[in-house]
Amino acid sequence: MKKKIILAGLIAAVIGGIGVWFFVFYLPSSDFYKNYKREQAYKTAIKVTAKDLVKEFLANEQAAYQKYTGKNKETGKDIIVEVTGEIISDKVSEGFHVITLKSDDAFSSVACTLREYKGETKTGTITIKGLCTGFLSDVNIIEAVIVKP
Amino acid sequence: MLTKEASNKNINMKKYLFFVVALFSLTTTFAQKTYATKAAQVKFFSHTPAEDISAINNQAVSKLVSNTGDVMFSVLIKGFRFENELMQEHFNGADYMNSTKFPKGEFKGKITNIATVNFAKDGTYKVTATGTLTIKGVTKNVSTSGTITVAKGVVSTKSAFKINVKDYGVDGSDVAKNLEITVTAKYE
Repeated sequence: MKKKIILAGLIAAVIGGIGVWFFVFYLPSSDFYKNYKREQAYKTAIKVTAKDLVKEFLANEQAAYQKYTGKNKETGKDIIVEVTGEIISDKVSEGFHVITLKSDDAFSSVACTLREYKGETKTGTITIKGLCTGFLSDVNIIEAVIVKP
Repeated sequence: MLTKEASNKNINMKKYLFFVVALFSLTTTFAQKTYATKAAQVKFFSHTPAEDISAINNQAVSKLVSNTGDVMFSVLIKGFRFENELMQEHFNGADYMNSTKFPKGEFKGKITNIATVNFAKDGTYKVTATGTLTIKGVTKNVSTSGTITVAKGVVSTKSAFKINVKDYGVDGSDVAKNLEITVTAKYE
């Protein structure tokens, strides 16, 4: 009887120890928390051309913010924008790879900062998916991934 | 044949034209130059007992006017990226920066000792700037020191300053009270 109690105690201690290790030490430093990444590549996105995206921000900034940035009010998930346009510049500066897409406006374009450094200089038309952060002098997109090169 | 009166008028016209041209060339010699970039970087760092928080934004817009010293930085709050994206979510959330309602942050001001900067000569110049910083719809006066570097005609600026997030109506009690902000811009 005594042996059984000691054994049960030992098992409980071991499980407890593993539990403490798992929740206190392992989980906070694991990939789940540290590298929690949005899965924009797999989600449905709002499809738009670079020209139309800039046009909408110029015409009604407030409405465009509601439509293209932040979270979807119904699903609570990030709004992802899939933008297609003609590349006017593709460069790496200060460690960031930025692809800029042409619009009809001379002073505004769509600047996409890629999630991963690709180091390739591309020209022509491209489709890029990412998070729209808003409009400064360009429409900005971050965490971008190339859908169709 | 020109009458005397008409030829006098012609000479006067020529004189006038000469002055206009002279004046024009003078103003272009001392013309102000506006340096601008769409790829300025704004970083912030905060040390808390639990962890160090840092984020970076590489799509800030900055402009600098060479002779007046007017300087501005503008940044999209949603453009700050954190190592930990859960933290990024919290940062943008309604309780913290509320970036959907207040999408931009901006500094507008003047470099007070711009006259000491020689844009034609390579070097690093120490400068001070005063102006206003707007975050989450709240505008406060700030002043900071930094440098302007001229290297082979390329002008860049760098500055670092601290803010208390409470001053801007951000509840930082559970995250970070003080942020150290670094701004760097390399003008094209």
